[in-house]
Parts: sequence; C-alpha cells; structure tokens
Amino acid sequence: MIRYPSFLVVFLIVVVGISLYQIKFFITQNEVALKTIKTKIVNAKSDLEILNAELSYLKRPDRIEKIALTKLELKEILPTDIWNLKDLVEATKSINARVPK
Amino acid sequence: MKSLINFKSALVVRSNTKFRKIKLLMCGSLFLFSFMTIGYRTISLAGITKPNPANISFKTIKSDLNKNLTRGNIYDRNKELLATTISTSSLNINPQEVLNKKNTIEKLLEIFPQLDEVALKTKLDSKKQFVNILREISPKEHVLLLNEGIEGLKIRVKHKRIYPNNNLAAHILGSTDVDGSGIAGIEKSLDSQLKNGKNIKISIHSGIQHITEKILFEQINKFEAEGGAGIVMNSKNGEVYAITSLPDYNVNNYSKVSDELLFNKATKGIYELGSTLKLITAAIALDSGLVEENEVFDVSRPLRVSSRTIRDFHPLNYAINIPEVIVHSSNIGSAKIAEKFGSATQLKYLRKLGFMDKMDLQIPEVGIPQVLMDRKLLSTMTISYGHGIAITPMHLASSTATLVNNGIKVNPTLFVSKTREKNTRVFSKNTSNKIKSIMRLVVKSKYGTAKKAEAKGYLVGGKTGTAEKLSKTGGYLKKQNIVAFTSAFPINNPQFIITVMIDNPKGQKFSYGYRTAGWVVAPVVKRLVTRIAPILNIKPQNENSLNFSQNLIQYEIRGKEKGANL
Repeated sequence: MIRYPSFLVVFLIVVVGISLYQIKFFITQNEVALKTIKTKIVNAKSDLEILNAELSYLKRPDRIEKIALTKLELKEILPTDIWNLKDLVEATKSINARVPK
Repeated sequence: MKSLINFKSALVVRSNTKFRKIKLLMCGSLFLFSFMTIGYRTISLAGITKPNPANISFKTIKSDLNKNLTRGNIYDRNKELLATTISTSSLNINPQEVLNKKNTIEKLLEIFPQLDEVALKTKLDSKKQFVNILREISPKEHVLLLNEGIEGLKIRVKHKRIYPNNNLAAHILGSTDVDGSGIAGIEKSLDSQLKNGKNIKISIHSGIQHITEKILFEQINKFEAEGGAGIVMNSKNGEVYAITSLPDYNVNNYSKVSDELLFNKATKGIYELGSTLKLITAAIALDSGLVEENEVFDVSRPLRVSSRTIRDFHPLNYAINIPEVIVHSSNIGSAKIAEKFGSATQLKYLRKLGFMDKMDLQIPEVGIPQVLMDRKLLSTMTISYGHGIAITPMHLASSTATLVNNGIKVNPTLFVSKTREKNTRVFSKNTSNKIKSIMRLVVKSKYGTAKKAEAKGYLVGGKTGTAEKLSKTGGYLKKQNIVAFTSAFPINNPQFIITVMIDNPKGQKFSYGYRTAGWVVAPVVKRLVTRIAPILNIKPQNENSLNFSQNLIQYEIRGKEKGANL
C-alpha cells in the first residue's frame, strides 16, 4: 500500500525530472536559435559592408559629377545665380524708382 | 503465558513498523534533498542564472559579435565611406588530395580562364599540402566551385581593406599591409583605434576634395607641370576640407605605387614658396611696431647685400609703403622692411607661427621646415621674400589662417572639432585687419599680382609667390619654378583658406610664355572658390551694396605711372 509521503516523494521526483528535461530542452533550443541569429547577423553585417562599399563606389564624386553634366545637364552655380534677399529688394526699389510713373 | 508472548510479539511488530516508518521517512528526505540539490545545481548550470537568450538585447549580441573585430571604417565629415573592410575568399588547394589532376585543371580553367595551365599543373604537382591558386574569388565563382565538387579545394575567408573612391584623398587615407596594419596616412596614425573596430570620421569633405583634385589636375596638365598640392581649410578652427597632392594614385593598388607618387607634396614636401612669405614680413613689420605704417622704402635700385643683388620682377622707380610692397610684390621693399625689424624679431615670429617645427597633424607624413638661422642680414632679407626658408604648403595654409583669424594661431586638424581650443595670439587684431585689407588689394587692385584669382562676389584675398626651384645638388634651377598662391575668402570675414602650389609649370602660348603664380595658380583659386563656395554655404556679396560689410582698410596703391620720382 502506497502511503502519502511516498506518493509525494515519487510525485516530486517525476515533476523535478520533467522540469529538468524541459529546461534543458528549452535552453538547448534557445542556444541553437541564438547561434543561428549570431551567424545571420555576421553574414548580414558582411553583406552590409559590401553593399555600403558598393554604394560608396557608385556615389563617387567624379561619377556623380559626370552623370550630372551628361545626363542631367546641370551646370556650375555662378555668383550671379545667387542673390542676397536684401540686395534683391534694393535692386527692385532702384529699378522701380527709375521707371517713369 | 501465551498472552504474554502475544503481547511481547505485538510490541516488537509495533516498534518495527515505527522504525521502518522513520527509516523510510529519513531515506525519503535524504533522497529528496539530494535530488533537489542536484536538480537545483543542474538548473542553475543549465541556465536559470543566465539571461534568457530570447531576452538578450541586440546590444549584448552586437558586443558579443564585435569580439571578432574587423578593422574600423574611415568616413569623411558627411559620413561618406572612404575606407572599409570586406570579407573575401581565397582559392587554395591540397595537391595530395587531388585524385584526377587533369580533370581538376580542366574544371578550374573553365571557371577561371585567367589561370595559366602550365602554372596550375606545376602547383598541382607540388609536394606541398597547401598551395594558393587565387588570392581572391567572387561569390559567384565560389558557388561554381562548390557545384563542380572538385576534391582538395580549400576556400579561406579573409578580410580585405578597400577604398571605394579609388584616388580620392589617397595621401591622407594611407594604406594597410597584408596583415591589416596601417602603414601610411590615417591608417597608420590611428592604427590601434581602427584595429579595435572603431570607426573614424575625418574632416575631409569628399566633394570639395574631388573638386580640388580635378581643378588642380587640369591646371597641372595645362601648364605641363610636374605636380602640385592644394589645401582647403577652415580659417577659424583649422579643419581641413581637402588636401591634394598630385600626381596621386589608386589607394587600392598601394603596394604597386612608386615612392614618387606616394610622396605627399602638401604636408611632407618642403619648398621655398617665394613671395607668399611677404605677407608674414608685412605682418611682423606692422605688429612689432618696429616699422611705421606710413614708412616708405626706396625700391628704385637693385639692392646689393654681401655677394647678392636683390631685384624686383616689376621694378618701380619710387619709394613705396608696406601695402604697395605686397601688392607689387617687391623683393627690394620686403628686404628693406626685414632689415628694419631685424633677424631676432623675424625668427621670433616665425617660431610662433610654427615654421621651426614639424606640424602636429594626424598623419605621419609631415615635413620639417628648414629656415636659415645664421642671423645674417642677407638671410633675414631673403627669408622676408621666401628664399632661404623651405616650408610645407600646409605650413603656409596654417600661417595664412593665423593672419586672417584676428592673429590667433590656427592649427590644422584632420578631425571635426567638437570643442574650440584656445590658441595663442601671434598678431594683434589690428595687424590682422591690415593684412586682410592688403590681401584683398593683391587680387582686386589693377596693380595686384593675383587679378586672375578674383571670383566675383566671393571677395578673395591672397598673395602669390614664384620661386626658383631648389636643385637636388644644391643651388637654384633658373628655369624651373615653384608657384604658389595662398588665399582666404570672403576676406571681410574669412571662412576658408585655399593654398595652392604647382611644381615646375612651363610657359604656354596662351600665357605669353609666363609661368608665374599669377598666371598658373591664381586662376585655380578663382575656379575653386566659385565651385566650392555654394557647397560651403558661402553667399556671394555685392561690394557696392549698402549691406556690404566695409571693414577693410582702403589703402591707395600707386602704379608705375603714378609714382613720384625720387
């Protein structure tokens, strides 16, 4: 006949055993996941470095300048293309003053 | 009697049962305790005390990953990538593991047609266990190799330093050796930081660096010169936006580049930069108080000192003041000014400007100036117009910045400054303002030597210098020149310094045979200023506008026809 304490002991042993197995399984699973993530990060980082280098190669100032000149027909900004707003107001005033009413 | 026996046996059974119970309980407790202890220890070892991997922050993983460090990147001031490290694969083979050599050679040649069949056969016949076939293979070639299933192949992953912009800022970036250690430039001076995976941001502006290189390169070709150097620097905090030394090279092929190309003319090369030094002579004269501002110097006759005769390129037949000495670039006038303040004062100021020392720049390729220190009158006089003193173009840029930065010393730096350091004063604010006014006249005045540097609206001020080139065997090469122009803009509130030097230009038909700084380097500065000012957010100014800051002194400059005969 199984007495109460014996039953408790057996029950505890079973619970602890199952818990241990579960924990071990959980840890192993997560460690594998972590390793996979780490590998993925390393690979992604390596890919990113190559992509950044490629992007930088494509963004070379000499290449951009060539494209701007040949494809976009952009030109250098000359000092005459830039106006100070105050000077612009002054110039407008002087032109207006010269125009006969 | 029977009942007594029964009683005794009943007592024994009861005590046995009780004893068994106690024994069982004790065993059970002991067993449970041991089990729990082992269980606890197992759980704690298995990970209960470790952070849950599912909850480990990305930061922790990142720092974990960084333990396997790759060399840090180098960026420009706008976070544009200048140098990085990527992983590449190398193709190696163990000849002892190759079963069918003929078949292997055929397969390899199919994937890599650039390989030499005979050389490949020699490698496969080798008794070695590890032979390198190709230093670098592409990911595509790697996949093809795997698909072929060639036995004995060993693919090794290695790190490779690359410079995506090829020639851009080649002399500043430097390079690394096969082991990944810095051997020149920033790569060398910041080697330990880069090796620890730290990314470095330098003050170079890729766009401005490219424009400087391009414009200087075009002018060097136009005048069939040997090379040149160009510097663009912030005149207030010394941050260098561009340093060019031409001819340059592709940094990715560093190991194959000749020493001549590797030489950094901007920071390592020392040159007699001629009349550009007259600005310093004028500043010393005005600042020391040993020469009166209105004092005039007779430049009508060549000046004979010891065995040497000092002459002017454009002789004048009257006495001129300090601004006129600079604008007309008179050697005689400059020599006479230097005679007034003397050798001790001259050397004191040159020392303050850092002309006696190696510059504290963040690259190892820095030249040491050479100054005639014999304190003889002739040396004092020649130094005043840039002969007998050899400095790097970077020294000239630094001293120009000091002259226009209200006289406070500007130390060039290749880093973006976060805090402004307190520097020593070399010249007074008043002297600085006078020099700025004179520098503007060198460009603006019709008698100035740098009229071709006038970039409309950007108020360029500067000083030209044309010097005979020093021969390697000693003495001067009469027909070879070093031409330089050092400038600041906008000169009424200087923001940037541009210093350009061109080595041995040849006179051209379009320059009427002239190869002077005014013809060769002044136009470079004009083109450079016009191109880079909008990038640097410097707006053109209208000198006739009411809003224009009239803070410069308007010195009157007389020409040849206006001079009063002595």
